Amino acid sequence: MKTKKFFILWAILLTIFISTSRVEAQKKDISSQVTLANEFYHEKNYQAAADIFEKLIDQGETNGFLYYNLGNTYMRLGNTGRAILNYLRAQLLLPRNENLDANLRYAINQTQDQLSPSRGGLIPSLLFWVDSISLIEHFDILILFNIIFWCICIGSLYYRKPLWKSLKKISMAILLLAFFSTGIKYYLLSEHKIGVIMDKKVDVKSDRNTQNVTLFELHEGAIIAVNQEDSEWAHISVNSDKSGWIPIESIDY
Amino acid sequence: MQNIPKKKLQSWLIVPAILIFIFIPVTSFSSNIQLSASVDKNQLTIEDSIELSIKISGVRNPPIPKLPPLTDFKVRSTGTQSSTQIFNSDMQVSTTHKYLLTPKIEGNFIIGPVIMNLSGSNYQSDPIMVTINKANPIKPNENRSVYTETSVSKKTPYINEQVVYTFTLFRKTEARNLNLSMPYDESFFRKENLGKAKRYSRVINGIAYDVDEVSIALFPIKIGESTIPPSIMELDLIHRTQTNRRRDPFSRFFNDPFFGGVTQNKHKILSTKSIKLNIQPLPKKGKPNGFKNFVGQFSITATVGKESFDAGDTTTLTITVSGIGNVMDVSLINLNLGDQFKIYPDQPIFTKSIHGNQIGGEKIFKFALVPFTTGRQTISSISLNYFDPDKKKYNTISTNPISLTIKPGTGTENLNLVQSGVAPTQQNGSTVSILARDILPIHTRVEDFKSVTFDKNQRIMYMTGILIPILIYLIAAGYIRYNHKMNEDKSYSRRQVAHRKAMKKLDQLSVSNPESKDFVRKLSQIIREYIGDKLNLQGTAFTSKEVGEKLNKNTFADDKIFAIKKLLEKFESMQYMPVVADKDHRLIDETAELLINLEK
Repeated sequence: MKTKKFFILWAILLTIFISTSRVEAQKKDISSQVTLANEFYHEKNYQAAADIFEKLIDQGETNGFLYYNLGNTYMRLGNTGRAILNYLRAQLLLPRNENLDANLRYAINQTQDQLSPSRGGLIPSLLFWVDSISLIEHFDILILFNIIFWCICIGSLYYRKPLWKSLKKISMAILLLAFFSTGIKYYLLSEHKIGVIMDKKVDVKSDRNTQNVTLFELHEGAIIAVNQEDSEWAHISVNSDKSGWIPIESIDY
Repeated sequence: MQNIPKKKLQSWLIVPAILIFIFIPVTSFSSNIQLSASVDKNQLTIEDSIELSIKISGVRNPPIPKLPPLTDFKVRSTGTQSSTQIFNSDMQVSTTHKYLLTPKIEGNFIIGPVIMNLSGSNYQSDPIMVTINKANPIKPNENRSVYTETSVSKKTPYINEQVVYTFTLFRKTEARNLNLSMPYDESFFRKENLGKAKRYSRVINGIAYDVDEVSIALFPIKIGESTIPPSIMELDLIHRTQTNRRRDPFSRFFNDPFFGGVTQNKHKILSTKSIKLNIQPLPKKGKPNGFKNFVGQFSITATVGKESFDAGDTTTLTITVSGIGNVMDVSLINLNLGDQFKIYPDQPIFTKSIHGNQIGGEKIFKFALVPFTTGRQTISSISLNYFDPDKKKYNTISTNPISLTIKPGTGTENLNLVQSGVAPTQQNGSTVSILARDILPIHTRVEDFKSVTFDKNQRIMYMTGILIPILIYLIAAGYIRYNHKMNEDKSYSRRQVAHRKAMKKLDQLSVSNPESKDFVRKLSQIIREYIGDKLNLQGTAFTSKEVGEKLNKNTFADDKIFAIKKLLEKFESMQYMPVVADKDHRLIDETAELLINLEK
């Protein structure tokens, strides 16, 4: 029996050690890849830098600065559409980064249509902080206020004083607000899709067919809201008053 | 009983027969099919309309007849009527299609024959001649039921000056289906809407009118003479006529507006006079250099996001231009702030607002500024020139200068934004010229590239973060409540600790001398104390018989009561025995076993 327990303990420790060293090795590899890509960028070998950043993203690495650097690399390569797309992706993870905002504005100014991302309706306007806080930060705040609320609940049960009851009500209101705000953020990210035009020029049609009337034209880098999509066509809108259908391969999001 | 199936069969035959009778075109019993067309009047003005009635008699559910080409009229269907009349067993059916014809121009016109094809035969009506005259000239002080007016705020405006064009409808009677067309020369003017129509009452020459007023703002974009064409209002006037119900006792009830009485619709087309405008050029005298045709009354303010920041960091300069006039045209694309900053302009935001009866608004320009040098910097005042048409002079408005403090930064990458035309030592001077605009550098801190995926593990972690505090709260709440009850409810606390206390005392007793008579007394005492604690009784002076009575009143089962009584009796009898021997702790084990049983 003792030998069996000893064996199991060693197996667990070995698994933890192997997985930890694998994670550490992976981290080191990512860091070296990023350093290499940044060096390529500084050496003006932008295509090589873009390839490394893209490869890291394909591997599942999600990081705002990774998207930001990729956006810069595409700007250098003259691919404004891809640059704006990556700046927008970076903005979801780094919503308060001023350098990113400045570069996105610059990139938008380089486009023919100069369309800025839309805010998405009344509720996001009322919950003005939603855009400035990322989804992960929202969840962190929610967890923090959840812990605070339940701690206050325990305190209120133990001390049974009016001050604790007031604290309980306040913390509950904040927790509900955090919960609502997180829900809205999650909904906006999953439902309110923002896309970018990748082709030099796209005709926006009145329906899903090239024979239909061209309502207006959009150009590379134009930021649009994607409302509906199928295998070939996507229904898009611009500035909430213009909408139509475009081939799905013309956009990316 | 046999009649019921018969009746059912009859109804099954009758219902389809009725449906066929109603819906299938059937030649009338008289078999005399006639098609006729008539108008309610054949002499009218351009402001009126004609009701064309096409009557088809002698056939039920005829096809819709084909109208002749009516290019000089606007045609609108106003419905279809069907009637059936019986005269001396002769049934006559007829269908009447009604159309409202609104003339577009004056003159004499012929409404061609209306044609209907029924079962291969063609039926046609006679042509109708109508004359459309000019609208009757409006006489001053005339008591009219409806009339329109148009006006402009200024007939000799300057180019880009706001001209408010107002259409007013005066009416004494109710009107429905109002349709207004306010055309303007798009090559001469740019239009801006001035909100919804206003509705108010006005007394003119002692007569109260309901007034509907619609205004638009026109901004002239060309110099010279231009004409605003007539505005056209199409509407249905509702005339309520009271029938002779006065003798009727219910007349007062039926004259209530809810029942409406008898109403008569009159379709009208009202046209206004055209208005000539003479658009003036802006005066040359006093015209500032680089003037950009902003006409109105404007104001300008400037603010910055932060006044003190690190080199390489950005601040936002917000310039707000507001006022009345063509604020929407204001542009600050080539903002000149010297060579101190790299400027990233944002898309300007324009918010329209109505001031009295004029259009204005607020246009906000945002610029991200990145300073080139550290130290104290000043954003010089930003000026805007505009022409005030009321004072007939040019004005210049400016923002206040803003001071900024730029601390030395920690950045490692050069911006490569500018190239100095002179030696690098002179870079702090004003000889550096901006050659191009560029993006800010890439991020190089490798530690910041940690992946922030929102994967399954992360979700499990968040779920745990949500659920664990709730679980801890439930455990803590149970414990706190238990403690509160133990402190506040004595009987509860005695009941809870009874078994533990008794077992502890048994343990202590097991180490004492088992042969003494005191040993049995103490064992008996432990059981009595246990029962006292369980039932919250004061003292322990009760016999085994009393124990039985007290326990009967409570919830112990009969076999357990019997076991207690038996053991207590045993202890009572042993107290009077000469020698008590419990070397194997049998009595203690027996007592412990009883106590465990009682707890179950």
